[in-house]
Amino acid sequence: MDDLTEMLKGTLEGCVLEIIASEETYGYAITRRLNELGFTDVVEGTVYTILLRLEKNGLVHVTKRPSGVGPPRKFYALNDAGRKELATFWAKWEYVSSRIDKLKEGGR
Amino acid sequence: MNFWETITGSDLTRQFKAFEARAEALPADHRAAWEQIKGHLWLYGDFTGRNLMPILDGALGLLEETAADGQGIHEVLGDDIAGFCAALAGGEGARTYRDRWRAQLNRNVARKLNRLGG
Repeated sequence: MDDLTEMLKGTLEGCVLEIIASEETYGYAITRRLNELGFTDVVEGTVYTILLRLEKNGLVHVTKRPSGVGPPRKFYALNDAGRKELATFWAKWEYVSSRIDKLKEGGR
Repeated sequence: MNFWETITGSDLTRQFKAFEARAEALPADHRAAWEQIKGHLWLYGDFTGRNLMPILDGALGLLEETAADGQGIHEVLGDDIAGFCAALAGGEGARTYRDRWRAQLNRNVARKLNRLGG
């Protein structure tokens, strides 16, 4: 599906948190995971800026490890603050999606 | 940063040279993207541009990493390099030098109007 960017904006950070929560991982792998999910518009640059933000807000633990080629890679894992943020994200998502579903069904 | 560097900006020149040397090693399309990124990020610089140094370093790091992975530049940055730079510089609310000029102008006009009793 094209042109999801605007709609995804607020939720992508939560998606990235969820991906990191399941296992320690790095930018390229996160981007691929999102692409596989069907978010084909998401590029590595987008994920990179989200990861910077997560790091700045102290939600992730970062480890630098040498990679086979090129400069060392940064691996990300959630810390306690990150797990809390992720729980908050899902609670908000639950709220928004249930309201929007309701609207669609014509209820009040 | 010592006093001499603060005054002359010699540390900046040195860092820029180091950046350019790293950029030289990138494949052509990544290098072209680097030129564009520099152009877009310039808007978010402070007076000396010193605040941009860590941001440029990170962006160059991303280009190096992705080039080593063999990713094409489109896979890395998509179509929206300006948007990428805005996000890099700290979100879309990041203040550019134009914003600062605008604020200054507004402030001056408001002051003048007040004096006239308007």
